[in-house]
Parts: sequence; C-alpha cells; structure tokens
Amino acid sequence: MEHPILFISIILEKLGLPIPHGPVGNGLVEQLCAPYMTYTWFTMIFLVVVGKMTLGNLEMVPGKGQNFWEILIGGMENFFLENMGRELTDKLFPMIATFALYIAVANLIGLIPGFMSPTSSINTTLALTIIVWLTHHIIGFRANGFAYLKHFLGPMPILIPLMLPIELISNFARLLSLSIRLFGNIMAKETLLGILFMLAGAFFAPLPIMILGVLVSLVQAMVFVLLTVVYFTQSNEHAH
Amino acid sequence: MLSGLIDYDTVVLRTKVGTKMSKMSKEMIHLLGNYGHIGFTFVAAIFIGMGGGIYLDQKVFDDRTTPWFTFIGLAFGIAAGFKSLFDILKQQNKE
Repeated sequence: MEHPILFISIILEKLGLPIPHGPVGNGLVEQLCAPYMTYTWFTMIFLVVVGKMTLGNLEMVPGKGQNFWEILIGGMENFFLENMGRELTDKLFPMIATFALYIAVANLIGLIPGFMSPTSSINTTLALTIIVWLTHHIIGFRANGFAYLKHFLGPMPILIPLMLPIELISNFARLLSLSIRLFGNIMAKETLLGILFMLAGAFFAPLPIMILGVLVSLVQAMVFVLLTVVYFTQSNEHAH
Repeated sequence: MLSGLIDYDTVVLRTKVGTKMSKMSKEMIHLLGNYGHIGFTFVAAIFIGMGGGIYLDQKVFDDRTTPWFTFIGLAFGIAAGFKSLFDILKQQNKE
C-alpha cells in the first residue's frame, strides 16, 4: 500500500538513505529503511519518551500523566489476574502489557495523515505472533514437563493417530489466524483510508472510516491480548 | 453544606454510570475475543491441512500419490476446524 506522504521516509530520503520502492528492500540498509521498520521505531520512541515524560518523577499524589498510566496499567493487571491467576500474571505481565501498548499505538498512528501503521505489514504481526506462539509452548513445557505433550494426544490412546494431526493442525492454525487477523484488519483500514483520501479527500470522505478505524484499532489490540492470555492459560493447565 | 450534598450525589451517579458502562464494554470485549476469531481459525485450519497435503503430494512423493494426500489433508483440516470450534464452546461452558 503506497501512502500519499510518509514523512519519515521523506526525511530519510533527504538524508541520502535508500528508501525501498517495493514493500521490502534489497540490501540491509534498504530493509532497515522500509516504512514499517521506521514507523516501528517511531512507535517505540514515542512510548519510551511519553513514559519518561509522564512518569519521570513518581509522586504519592499522582498528577494527570501518572493517573492515566495508573488506571491503564491497573486495569490491565486486573484483567490478567482474572484470566491467568497470580503466578502467570507476575511472570508475564511485562511482556503482554508491552504487546498491548505497542499494538494499540501502532494501530492508532495509522489514522494520522503522514503516518502508517507498522502492523499493516505481515512482517510485524507475524513476528509478534511467533513470539506468542513459542512462549505458550515454553510455558506449557515448564509447567507440565513432558506431560504437556498429552495436550496433543486427545482423550483416548486408541484415538492418537486421528487426534495428533488434528491437534497439530489446529495448533498451527493459531499461528496463522492470530497474525493474519491483525494484519488483515489494519491493512484494510489503511488501504481504505488511502483510497478514500485519494478519491475525495477534499470532501472529508475518509472521516467516517477514521471513526471506525479508532474502534477497529482498539478492538484488534484487545483481541490479540485476550487470545494471548487464553493460549497461555490453556498451555499452563494440566492435560485432561 | 448543600453544595457538598449535591457533589456527593453526582459522584455516586457518575460512579454508577461508570461501572455500568465498564461492565457492558467488558462483556462486549469478552464476547469479541471469544467468538471474533472463529472464522479466521476455521479457515486457517483448513488451509494448513490442505497445504500440508499438497506439500506431501507434490514435494515429498513427487506427484506419484497426487490426489490422495491432498484429500486426506483436507479432511484433517476440516476436522481440525470443527475441533477448534468445539474447543471454543467447551471453554465458554467452563466459565
């Protein structure tokens, strides 16, 4: 999806760095300068700088910035506690909360003209999903040892030849569905906004889609986090 | 005194409205999370099953078994899709 204007790409081009013309470049520098990479870094810098600005000095009586973060982080922790229990939450809260914040911000910056969502590239979402997928297997093996493999063998020994392929396929389907859902929703939003902006941008045609885009961005971030939590909980349980 | 009372009432009203809203949106998020991925998971299971079958036919056995592993993979993929639907239902009943 070619955007009308991507200001980070323009700045990098003025600095003499190569900007890839396809979705992914050829050399290493070109790949690092691809828009989804630069906007990923932009999102990371944004989160770090805003966190530093609002939480630089913690106070007993919180101000505006600290209040916002306390509500957000407290709400997320309560949600994880309800679904995962104390132990898993303590272990995995930093990772899942980072994913939630990163995906939400990355989805939302695509609504501002001149920015794009890093999550509208399959590379970003697949990377996030592979991390989640590997982590849920690691959690399973650490919690249950080799008894974790019973998750894939079905209820009865006689059904193993039938159930093993089915369980493996449905486990790999998680990898595919989790990445493609996020990618597809955000890419559709970005493409639709780009086309409407090109066709009738002067008549505010993209405005209704932008309102829907806010909803889609937040809901997709929440769904990703919720499914991550569900997978972690399931692999932590004992096999039936 | 009076203004204090009014403030108290509005505070109570606000918190009531707030909890009601958050309860509704919480339920909404739970429903979206639990059922919103049914379609994608079903399709992804079928794709992976059939893709595995086609890979076995064309790359591993060099077209000697051509239609069979594709069909077997498709059948397993569809079964895996239904199994993931069944899992979602089971998990929902448990809660």
